[in-house]
Amino acid sequence: MKGPDVVVVGGGVIGTAVTYYLAKQGADVLLLERAELGGETSSACDGFVILQSKSPGVHLALALASAELYRGLADELDWDIEYRNCGGLIVIEREEELPAMRTFMAKQQAIGLDVRLLLGDEVRRLEPALAPHIVGATYSPQDSQVNPLQVVLGFAQAARRLGARVRQGVPLQTLRRAGARVSAVVAGGEEIPAGAVVLCTGVFTPELLTPLGVELPLRPRRGQLVVTEPAPPLVHHIFLCARYIAAKYHPELLAAAEDEALRLGVGLALEQTGSGGFLIGSTREFVGWDKRTTPLGIREIVRHATRILPALAQLNAIRTFAGLRPYTPDGLPFLGPVPGWENLYIAAGHEGDGIALAPITGRLMAELILTGRTSFPLTDFAVDRFARGKDQGGQLKVTP
Amino acid sequence: MNDDDVIICRCEEVTKGDIRRAIRSGATTFKAVKKFTRAGMGLCQGRTCRRLILQILAQETGQTPGQLAPGSYRPPTRPVPLAALKGEES
Ligand SMILES: Cc1cc2nc3c(=O)[nH]c(=O)nc-3n(C[C@H](O)[C@H](O)[C@H](O)COP(=O)(O)OP(=O)(O)OC[C@H]3O[C@@H](n4cnc5c(N)ncnc54)[C@H](O)[C@@H]3O)c2cc1C
Repeated sequence: MKGPDVVVVGGGVIGTAVTYYLAKQGADVLLLERAELGGETSSACDGFVILQSKSPGVHLALALASAELYRGLADELDWDIEYRNCGGLIVIEREEELPAMRTFMAKQQAIGLDVRLLLGDEVRRLEPALAPHIVGATYSPQDSQVNPLQVVLGFAQAARRLGARVRQGVPLQTLRRAGARVSAVVAGGEEIPAGAVVLCTGVFTPELLTPLGVELPLRPRRGQLVVTEPAPPLVHHIFLCARYIAAKYHPELLAAAEDEALRLGVGLALEQTGSGGFLIGSTREFVGWDKRTTPLGIREIVRHATRILPALAQLNAIRTFAGLRPYTPDGLPFLGPVPGWENLYIAAGHEGDGIALAPITGRLMAELILTGRTSFPLTDFAVDRFARGKDQGGQLKVTP
Repeated sequence: MNDDDVIICRCEEVTKGDIRRAIRSGATTFKAVKKFTRAGMGLCQGRTCRRLILQILAQETGQTPGQLAPGSYRPPTRPVPLAALKGEES
C-alpha cells in the first residue's frame, strides 16, 4: 500500500498551515490531530499579526514575509479569517523606556518595517482612551489582527478542498524507522506508510522526540488572558506595552524583579475583537503544564491594563483562560529536518508568534519538504542549533 | 424545513446554520463548536444556549446529548467588573 507523500502531525495553526501549503504544491497530505483542530495553544491566544514585537533580525524578516501572505489569505482560502489591517501601538509608560524603544525601532526600520514614534498628545489623538501619563507609543500601520481559530479552520478547509485528508482524534504513537528514514507512522493503532513526516506539535514536540534520543530545548510558557463583555468601539489599534517587549526577550530581568507584575512577566497585549469584547493579556510564566489562571495573574493583568486604558475598569470580565506558548531559548522556532533523519521534520516552537508566523512557516516547510530548497534561508531556525555534540549512534543530543 | 436562520446564541448572534456549518467542517464536540462559532462564549457564558447547542450536535453527529461532553466553565462564572478584579475595592 502506498501511503501519503507527507504526514503532518498536529492540527494547530502551524500544522494546518503546513498541510495547506503542501497540498497547494500538489502533495498528497494526511494531517493527524490527536484531539481536535485548534484545540490547544492556537485557541488560547490573541490574534495579533504584529510586526513591531519581533526582534529586529531574521525574526522580523520572517514575520514581514508572513504578513505579506496574510494580506491575500482570506481570498486565497475563501474563508473569513477576520483579517484587519488595524495598525498597532507599543505604549510607553515611562520616560526611561524611550531610549530602548528608539533603538529597537531604528533597527526595525533598517529591516524595512514602517514604524514611527508618536509622543504625548500625538498618540492620544490616535487613541483618546489612553491614560494621561502615557509618554508615547511606537506605531506601525503594518500591524494586523486575525481570528486565530478561523485561520486554523480556513487552512484546514482549503487543504481539504485540495485533496488533503484531515483526521481528528488520531494521535501519532510511533515512528517506524528504516535506516535514516521514517518508513511509516503508527497512529490510532493503524500503521500508515509515509513519504515524509512533519511534527507540528507545538509544546508537545519534545515528548515525541525523546524516544528517538533527541532532546529539544522547548518548554511551555504560560500566558493568562481576560475576556470582557462586548463594548462599543473604544480603541482602534492592537496594543502592546514597552514592558511586553522586555518580558518577551529578557526573562532573566523578570525573575529577579521585586514587583509582582514584573515577576509574572505581565506585559500588555490588548485587542478589541470583531465581536466587541476585549482580550486582555498577559503573563509569561514557566509553570510546567499548568493551564489554570491564577487570581494574582489576573489581578496584575487587569491593574496593568486599566492603568493604561482607565475606561476598561467599567467593563465586566466574562471569562479568563490561559495557554502555553512553545518557548525556545532564542525566541525562534525550530524549522527544518531532524538531524540524522532524511525525511523527518519539525515546525514548532513559535512562542508568542505562531499565529503571525503560520503562513510563512507553512510555505517554507512545503518548499523544504518537496524541493529541498527554501525561498528564505532557514539556517537560524535549525533544529540542532543548540547542539553541543552528537553521540555515537548518529542520534542527536541537544542541550540548551 | 430550513431553520438555519434561527438564532441559537443571542449574546454572540450565532445561528443554527452557523453551528451546523461548524459541525460539518469538523467541530464535532461541544468545546469545538463553542470555539469555532463563539456560541456560548458571550455575556451569559452559555447559560441559555448550552442545551440547544448540545441538541444540534446530537442531531448532526448521531449521538445522544448525554454522550457529548458538556464543556467547561472558565472563571469568573458570572460577569465581574474589572474594577473589582483589580483588587482595590473589596
Ligand atoms: C496567551 C497567549 C497569547 C498569544 N498571542 C499570540 C498573538 O497575538 N499572535 C501570535 O502570533 N501568537 C500568539 N500566541 C502564540 C500562538 O498561540 C502559538 O505560537 C501557536 O498557537 C502555536 O501553534 P502550534 O500549531 O505550534 O501549536 P498548537 O496549537 O498547540 O498545536 C499543536 C497540536 O498538536 C497536537 N498534538 C500533540 N501531540 C500529538 C500527537 N502525538 N499526535 C497528533 N497530534 C498531536 C495537539 O493536540 C495540538 O492540537 C499566543 C500564545 C498565548 C499562550
